[in-house]
Amino acid sequence: MALNKSSWFLVFLLINIDALVSADVDFTAPESADRPEPALSAAAAVFKPAVDSLFSLNLLSSFPEDLEISDYCTELLNIFGQRYVDYVKCLVPAARPVRVCQNCFSSYGSLVDTYTNISSDQMGPGNVSCRDSLLRSDRLMLVFQLYSNLDDLWTRSLCKQCLTDGLHNLSNTTLYFMTLLNQTISCFDKYKQGNHTELCKSCKNTYRGLNELYGGMEKNHTLCIDIEDAMNMTRRLWSKNFNCSFPREETVAVIAVSSFMVFLPIIFYLSSFLHSEQKKRKLIHPKRAKSYNSLMNIQDKLS
Amino acid sequence: MANITKKVSWSSRADESAAAGEGTPLLNGSEQPQHSRQDSLRGRPKEIPHNEKLLSLKYESLDYDNIENQLFLEEERRMSYMGFRCLEISRWVVCGLIGFLTGLIACFIDIVVEQLAGIKYQVVKENIEKFTEAGGLSISLILWAVLNSTFVMMGAIIVAFFEPIAAGSGIPQIKCYLNGVKIPRVVRLKTLVVKVCGVICSVVGGLAVGKEGPMIHSGAVVAAGVSQGRSTSLKRDFKIFEYFRRDTEKRDFVSAGAAAGVSAAFGAPVGGVLFSLEEGASFWNQMLTWRIFFASMISTFTLNFFLSIYHANPGDLSNPGLINFGRFESDSVAYNLYEIPLFIAMGAIGGLLGALFNVLNYWLTIFRIRYVHRPCLQVMEAMLVAAVTATVSFAMIYFSNDCQPLGPEHTEEYPLQLFCADGEYNSMATAFFNTPERSVRSLFHNQPGTYNPLTLGLFTLTYFFLACWTYGLAVSAGVFIPSLLIGAAWGRLCGILLASITSNSSTSAQDSTAIWADPGKYALIGAAAQLGGIVRMTLSLTVIMVEATGNVTYGLPIMLVLMTAKIVGDYFEEGLYDIHIKLQSVPFLHWEAPATSHWLTAREVMSSPVTCLNRVEKVGTIVDVLSNTSTNHNGFPVVVQVSGSDESGKLCGLILRSQLIVLLKHKVFVELARSRLTRRKLQLKDFRDAYPRFPPIQSIHVSQDERECMMDLTEFMNPTPYTVPQETSLPRVFKLFRALGLRHLVVVDDENRVVGLVTRKDLARYHLGKHGLEELQLAQT
Repeated sequence: MALNKSSWFLVFLLINIDALVSADVDFTAPESADRPEPALSAAAAVFKPAVDSLFSLNLLSSFPEDLEISDYCTELLNIFGQRYVDYVKCLVPAARPVRVCQNCFSSYGSLVDTYTNISSDQMGPGNVSCRDSLLRSDRLMLVFQLYSNLDDLWTRSLCKQCLTDGLHNLSNTTLYFMTLLNQTISCFDKYKQGNHTELCKSCKNTYRGLNELYGGMEKNHTLCIDIEDAMNMTRRLWSKNFNCSFPREETVAVIAVSSFMVFLPIIFYLSSFLHSEQKKRKLIHPKRAKSYNSLMNIQDKLS
Repeated sequence: MANITKKVSWSSRADESAAAGEGTPLLNGSEQPQHSRQDSLRGRPKEIPHNEKLLSLKYESLDYDNIENQLFLEEERRMSYMGFRCLEISRWVVCGLIGFLTGLIACFIDIVVEQLAGIKYQVVKENIEKFTEAGGLSISLILWAVLNSTFVMMGAIIVAFFEPIAAGSGIPQIKCYLNGVKIPRVVRLKTLVVKVCGVICSVVGGLAVGKEGPMIHSGAVVAAGVSQGRSTSLKRDFKIFEYFRRDTEKRDFVSAGAAAGVSAAFGAPVGGVLFSLEEGASFWNQMLTWRIFFASMISTFTLNFFLSIYHANPGDLSNPGLINFGRFESDSVAYNLYEIPLFIAMGAIGGLLGALFNVLNYWLTIFRIRYVHRPCLQVMEAMLVAAVTATVSFAMIYFSNDCQPLGPEHTEEYPLQLFCADGEYNSMATAFFNTPERSVRSLFHNQPGTYNPLTLGLFTLTYFFLACWTYGLAVSAGVFIPSLLIGAAWGRLCGILLASITSNSSTSAQDSTAIWADPGKYALIGAAAQLGGIVRMTLSLTVIMVEATGNVTYGLPIMLVLMTAKIVGDYFEEGLYDIHIKLQSVPFLHWEAPATSHWLTAREVMSSPVTCLNRVEKVGTIVDVLSNTSTNHNGFPVVVQVSGSDESGKLCGLILRSQLIVLLKHKVFVELARSRLTRRKLQLKDFRDAYPRFPPIQSIHVSQDERECMMDLTEFMNPTPYTVPQETSLPRVFKLFRALGLRHLVVVDDENRVVGLVTRKDLARYHLGKHGLEELQLAQT
């Protein structure tokens, strides 16, 4: 899939960018021959020696002025790199327990700003747009790929639902949830030692309040990964560690009612078998021509 | 013999068809020497308990044969070229309407079921949640059982008391109709209403049933109604489509309606066409197929469109059928060559289980026919089944220890927590506490590891018996979904077991575990195998499954599985629908005459002697013949009497009871025609207006004077009926009968004198049993 996409992209480039620029593209890469078109392979054959010699002779040499990216774009690229690193640095420690939304939303915001700058088609100083040169002048599309990975992560974490509209602050529900969560956890801590039944009784109200709030947020679609994870952990503590789930207590009653219900049809069928009049069918004997003696009648044969 | 033929009430429900059946003696009198066996039965008619080896008198044939009498020829002459073009166009219009209305009905059923079931499950769920904490879960159990019984009671009451023919899936009845048997009241508007309401009640009532089978019946009723351009029940005549008021035309539309029903039920337009082909294929042509396909497409499109509006994204046409198997991801459906033997083995299991299902249901149905025949008993039985279904489901859920974490995409509509940890749900509840369609879907698509093997095993076992017990109740309900559900459960079980075996034995094969690991695929194969094992449909079922999954890749495995299931199942027992057709004593004509029947000739098969009418007959004679209530033949050969001879005359035509009644009603007597010259001539339209409910002879008043009049049948009779000589073998007669859709076949001697008459019941009584050729007996039911 990815191969196909890149090769199509390559074709797209060939059409759009003039021949000199396209010399940047490494035609010799084996993947690009995934779906070879006659014109393309012919072009590759022509360009191959030139590209090879250029690269092997002088790998570090710079290109002529008009092919090089502008200073403005280099600057943007640097900023992007910086913010990218910041965001990732923030993300990794927040992986477990998940805190990616509450800790890193601000650095994500600045990363988005930079990327918006790069990808906007507005001309910067010196009448250059960095979009083409930074984002899509090669097969790798490094900047775009890096960003889209993180963007995908962000989308899947649903962090947006926990934040206010401008992505500047945590939303009120989230903050309220945090407070309740902290109360519950501290309650757990208080009674953790000793008998868990005590804990189950004392923290029940706080825990239930938290649970209900969570249920409400689930319905309103204001959950994000942080909250989900925190709730999962709390629930696991509550049910598995402290064993506060409901016990199965009324087995006898359920069995009694069930067996009564199951018993009813047996009575029904027995009584209808014994009391109901069996339905009889009256046989009709149709007239048939008298069969010849030589041919045995089927009824005789059977009787 | 004469005293056998005394008047009896034919069925508990006196209806016009039975009244029409209280017909004329084809066999006129007792002077014929009787067969010795029959002589011994004089006195009282012999009574036996109901069994499968009977043919009921209440079923008649449909008149598929075109009556080419003079009226018909006249009308054809009058009709212009444009007239025929308009007919062709109106056929298309009717098919479009059929598709549209069927789709609408499917949509209605779907939405109402979803809403009502949603409310029910919500109520029960809240109740269970409340009592899980406070104690008293047995009250929830009772609440669930009572809710279920109430819904089912409503459904059963309307079926048992108002329209018993609407019970069951309706597929056997439609099969019979397309075969050429007129099942009383099967395509009435009332039946449709009862069917639709009944199926809603039974699905909402939580029975182990589906709403797909009844869709086929509904489609057929819609077709029969729309094509006639009027409703006799509502007493409205729209004066359109009058040309189609004949059995031949109606049958074509009914097959289109059945196809539209299948197509709406499964989102399978091609499957629908093939279903009609498989069930009614003896009368088929290419233009008809194309029209039926059109109706199917329209039906699935209509359903699609209206459901998209209901789901608030109009224009998104992704709900093609009532049952939506969901999309199988393209990588999860990959299968390998070495899996094919496994699939075939699963097909064999499906065949075995299907045969077991059918045998159990057969005995149960016999018991029901013999002992549970009163409507109030039937309602009680249905309610009990509903209550027990709820109870068993509840007990299963209650004692299940299988807890699974809630998935991120929330495929579970009503997750029940019960004693599971918070954030987890009871996985038994996804199977039981849900409408069957959703359960099927979750079995197909849920992540590996959603169900543990014990849960699935128990579920299969209970659901198998519940479904078997439910089918045949006096509620309208189909067997497709329960079969799919049973199959999907054990199929998934197979998948899980295979995966665990392979992961234990080999760690090297990394890529193969990826394929083994998807139990949804095995669930699909299991579902196909089980369904094939129960209903034994072949071609159409394959296509339906392929279309419902939207994946052509699975064509081969599903076909192999269905073939195996059919072969294995047929070894033990017939298909479920065939069993029910047999148990209803329907004179059903199979594709071929029974093997080893070539030694039987038309002479043994036919009924004889025949009541014939003269070409110009006295009205009194005709009235007497029609009013005689001993037998149920509906066609009378018209003969020219050779003067002065006692022998039966030479055949010159055939006239039907319905025609005679219309003639009597309009008093088409020779004497009257002479006196009133201005009188309008009787047209074919007059016969069509009376169709399909011809009045019984009792309702037609004929005065003493009129009895002395004469009636000339020349214009109205079919002058060229099909005849065979006496020596024709049974398979030959059978072939003629089946291929042409005949109702009466006159047996003549070498001088063209009538010696007998072959009808459907004469042919259907022979069948190949365990001890060679057996003969079914005629009985009143």
